[in-house]
Amino acid sequence: MDSFRQEKVQRFEEFVDGRLKPDLVHAIAERDKVFEQQKIFSDLRRNIENLEKNSVTSLRTLVNLGSEVYMQADVPDTKRIFVDVGLGFHVEFTWSEALNYISLREEKLSRQIEEYTHLIASIKAQIKLVFPFMAMIFYSCPLHLFCKQITE
Amino acid sequence: MEGYKCNCTKLYWPPKKLPPSLSLAVKQERKGEAKMEKGIKGTVTSVSSMYPAEEAQKAAKRVQDAIAEKQEELERLRDFISDNTNLVTLVQRLPDQLQHDIMVPFGKAAFFPGRLKHTNEFLVLLGDGYYAERTSIQTMEILKRRGKTLQSQVDSLNAMVEDLKAEASFFDATAAEAAEGFLEIREDYVDESSARESESDLLKQISSSSPEADNKTNALEDEEFARIMSRMDELEKEELAAESYNETGEHEETDVSLDSFSDQISLHQVKNSEEPEFRKPPDQAKYKNTMSEEVKSRHHHHQDFTNRSQGNIFPGNVSTSSQKTLMPPEMDKVQAAASSRHEPPLQTSTSKPEFDSQKAFTGSIVEHPYNLERNSSEQTVSKSGSQRSKPVSRFKMQRK
Repeated sequence: MDSFRQEKVQRFEEFVDGRLKPDLVHAIAERDKVFEQQKIFSDLRRNIENLEKNSVTSLRTLVNLGSEVYMQADVPDTKRIFVDVGLGFHVEFTWSEALNYISLREEKLSRQIEEYTHLIASIKAQIKLVFPFMAMIFYSCPLHLFCKQITE
Repeated sequence: MEGYKCNCTKLYWPPKKLPPSLSLAVKQERKGEAKMEKGIKGTVTSVSSMYPAEEAQKAAKRVQDAIAEKQEELERLRDFISDNTNLVTLVQRLPDQLQHDIMVPFGKAAFFPGRLKHTNEFLVLLGDGYYAERTSIQTMEILKRRGKTLQSQVDSLNAMVEDLKAEASFFDATAAEAAEGFLEIREDYVDESSARESESDLLKQISSSSPEADNKTNALEDEEFARIMSRMDELEKEELAAESYNETGEHEETDVSLDSFSDQISLHQVKNSEEPEFRKPPDQAKYKNTMSEEVKSRHHHHQDFTNRSQGNIFPGNVSTSSQKTLMPPEMDKVQAAASSRHEPPLQTSTSKPEFDSQKAFTGSIVEHPYNLERNSSEQTVSKSGSQRSKPVSRFKMQRK
């Protein structure tokens, strides 16, 4: 009986450590990636809006060649911008088109973030749920009594 | 009684027949022998008891993890180096043309079509947010220096990895040895020449009648003393068991009569002490009381000797003890009580074995005082052994 209970508890623990916790870490990492994307697009939107507001037609910037070595670059025409639409494809947009696309993209990203947040919450809930069960098995206490003890 | 005496002579330490100075020498030599024996014995321990196989494996695993970590870091550094070399070639090539058509990045997700201008002007980060405008060749120099530091980092990491690998192999070997049940045999190395030197030193000390009671020998002596004491305890217990049936009443008496007797005796001693500048061990005073004039003069000589050599040799030992056996048992008891009260402050550690041998010789009657004395003397050994011995030895050195 005792060994059986111990085995049960051990299996629960293995489930928590081997399955739930890695899942949680993975979900959090994914959400962070989406956050980053969101930030990139919000930055881009702000920049384009800036360009529109100042009606900049030509641009001179510094290009990072790598290892923090910069070189001057000239952009003769800023009306057309190439925006990353995923999978390595870039689409040529005008400013208004780009802003339209960015708003759609941001919406999608925020939806993704919501999903990941839900996923993370549910994994956390599962982990929290497993522990009382483990305690219950360990002390061989019926569920309703255990719940009563918790609420009291 | 005869049988009992036999027991005591067996215990007698140092041997009764030897003159005191020689007896000390014998003692020292025997100690040396014991040490040698201990050294020769050595120790045999199984490797698995020192390093359990699982522990060794765990350690090996940890080291392997560390190696993996370092390897990752190494990979990263190698990437940096390859990036750097690529950049060097790029920087070298860029000034070939006046301008290059490129896509100018605009944030991370967008870019404009554009072109590079001023292809011989680079803005290089020097560190800490400072930038310098450099030409292509100067930039290349900077980049090459960066490459060198990166290379040195890679070298140091490689060395670290090598170290860790050696460590891991050692742990693996240990684990394998532990699993196979290897034994480790360890034996202290005793340099024979040095051992002989120390022995001769000891003999020299003894011959010049200056048994240097420094802390080390004190400690050794204490050990020996404790050993003897425990043995004597055992034997006395045996005696007690054997004689308890006819001596039970007497023991109780001794406890009661201790104080009054010892007070008398102490007074007696003060009166009789002829050399007020030297405090004498009470048993010696007692001894004086019971001695004839002829022996007394001899004793004086000896006492000088003992005072000089901090009282650790009682030359009159043999005669004293033989006389004491002639004394009535009552007197012996009293003497023991007195000594138990007055001995501790005077006692030096080296004199103890002598004293005990005396005790052991005097007979079985002194059970309680004997125990008392042992405790108190042990305390004084731990407290005053080193303190007392030092000034005397210094004094001796001055005299030399």
